[in-house]
Amino acid sequence: MSVTTPTAGTISRPDLARLLAGPAADGRLVAPVRTAPGVVLFAPVRDPGALTLEYVNSTVSPKGCLFPQSEKILGWRGGGPKLDLYSPPEPQPLVLFGVRPCDLRAITVLEPVFGGGYPDPYWRRRRELTTVVGLGCTEPGPYCFCVAWGISPVAAPEADLMLTPVDPGYLVQSQSPKGEELLRRSGVSLQAAGTEPAVLRERRTAELTARFRRLIDPTGVEAAAERLFDHPYWRELARRCLGCGICTYVCPTCHCFNVIDRTAPDGSGGRYRCWDSCLFERFTLQASGHNPRPTRAERLRNRLLHKLSYHRSRYGLEGCTGCGRCVAACPVNIDITEVVADLKGMMT
Amino acid sequence: MKEITLNLRARAMELLAGGRVDLVIGYGTGSLPEFVRPVFVDRPERAEELIFNPLCAQNLTKYILDYRDQPGRVAVVVKGCDSRSINQMMADGQLDREKVFLLGINCPGLADPVLLSVAAGRRDWQVEAEPEGFRLRWPGGERLLPRDEFLMYRCRTCEHHNPVVSDVLLGDPILQGETPDRFAEVRRIESLTPEERAAYWDALFARCLRCYACRNACPACTCRECIFDRPEPEWVARVVAPQSNLAYHLVRAMHVAGRCVDCGECDRVCPVAIPLREINRKILKELAVLFGAPTPGTSHPAPEPLATFAVTDPEVWL
Repeated sequence: MSVTTPTAGTISRPDLARLLAGPAADGRLVAPVRTAPGVVLFAPVRDPGALTLEYVNSTVSPKGCLFPQSEKILGWRGGGPKLDLYSPPEPQPLVLFGVRPCDLRAITVLEPVFGGGYPDPYWRRRRELTTVVGLGCTEPGPYCFCVAWGISPVAAPEADLMLTPVDPGYLVQSQSPKGEELLRRSGVSLQAAGTEPAVLRERRTAELTARFRRLIDPTGVEAAAERLFDHPYWRELARRCLGCGICTYVCPTCHCFNVIDRTAPDGSGGRYRCWDSCLFERFTLQASGHNPRPTRAERLRNRLLHKLSYHRSRYGLEGCTGCGRCVAACPVNIDITEVVADLKGMMT
Repeated sequence: MKEITLNLRARAMELLAGGRVDLVIGYGTGSLPEFVRPVFVDRPERAEELIFNPLCAQNLTKYILDYRDQPGRVAVVVKGCDSRSINQMMADGQLDREKVFLLGINCPGLADPVLLSVAAGRRDWQVEAEPEGFRLRWPGGERLLPRDEFLMYRCRTCEHHNPVVSDVLLGDPILQGETPDRFAEVRRIESLTPEERAAYWDALFARCLRCYACRNACPACTCRECIFDRPEPEWVARVVAPQSNLAYHLVRAMHVAGRCVDCGECDRVCPVAIPLREINRKILKELAVLFGAPTPGTSHPAPEPLATFAVTDPEVWL
């Protein structure tokens, strides 16, 4: 049997280590690592044996590889009469392995923000330099609801190389020149899949989709959100919100940032772009002292409606990918799937 | 524990119906079996939302700060550990005792929600504390889990099963045995060489997200404006890096030194599992060793060693 396309086929489990060996040895591999009990984070990996495949989803999304939590975007040397500006060094090329379909979708969600009318050079450069290797899921986690947004849990087009687990190995689909190059350089050869790859993926998607237990139907939530903007619901919901930034920082699509200049006593310094959170009181505090989102109710409503309504109306894309991290990590059980149900319930 | 829930609802209903309080802050059912959530009951007919079970971990006293400056009075559900916060808030001049009604619960200890989920292996369970252990129930089945194995980490060193301050007490008083050693982990970290210790904390702080959940959940963090939020002067760099994260955590620990009641909320809320409580426990250990001071909030009024000068103060660090 022949491979249907030259860029799709299966590999064995041991082949996976071979695929990643080169980037690992070069210090270019970023992959999920079990950092502590219950904590899986994307981190540089020097030995493919150190990464974990035993995770449903990482504790924090891998968006930081394309949009770092703190990034120096400009530097200056001090001491002289004139400010001597310089650009920080280029980011390193990376192979980002193990990205789940929800987090892959997040790249598409963020693309119009960073790559749209005002292209963001930092995001763009990191996108160019990063080879994204997607890894399909084998089991939905307790908080997962990606299928509600029409995402397949086993494959996504955003990956340069997409791996879909098919016992006993992986179905590999190269989806870009970067993916092909990673494959070619590794020397791993693809075996012909017994079944047409597209059919195989469809079958796995259907099997896994049926196992999701958090079934929500977001249809109509945008209209509900618009109608219920001033509803007392938000004030009631926000009573328990602690106003921390967990949900925004673990989220694969939250992308707000602040720009901070730091100057040392010798006059040298840098300009940094740092993640910010719309849950923080100072996020919208204006120089006049006025704050258009004065309480946690306005701030929490903003975050939830950004996910459920604003991103969609602005870009035609869902702002949430159903990764479930905010549900898992919120210390006071603010659950976006419940908010969807509540909003829709109030409309009927 | 069923009785506690029923008594709690009855009390809440009574307090609200009689106009003695305007709001009852307690625990309610969460969106999934392993979650409970704070509920804010403002009408007698909503009292049935209140529950108490072995998942009710959150220290709800933090929310008092949202209501203390409003007219009226709020009732708050407090376990033994949480009740220390009330005493400490009063010691800090943060709370007028008249503004709160304390629904104290004699708490035998909570269960670890992650361990329960794993043991249940399904998504439709409920849990109750029983004298023999934690009883998991699901439609058509049940299982008794041994208490010692499933007890929440923070409850293993419980100092006060019974609230130290309250207006009513629900549940049978629990015999407070000898408190297990709370400083074992602190001593382990102290026994490391300075280099090992630095490496230990650096690795932990490297993954800090600076989400400030530890601060926002902390009942001792009561400043109206937090120094970490001030852009000018920038006391601690907002650029997230191991050094600034270290500065953040040490400054925070020092700000609550002598006022941290060891409730463990910072540990519970951290999304990346940094054992923040051990930093505070290092300070608690110093307080105990140098001044013989009990955990802050144990009684009120009480001596405050770090807010008082005495010529007899030990000066071992000078």
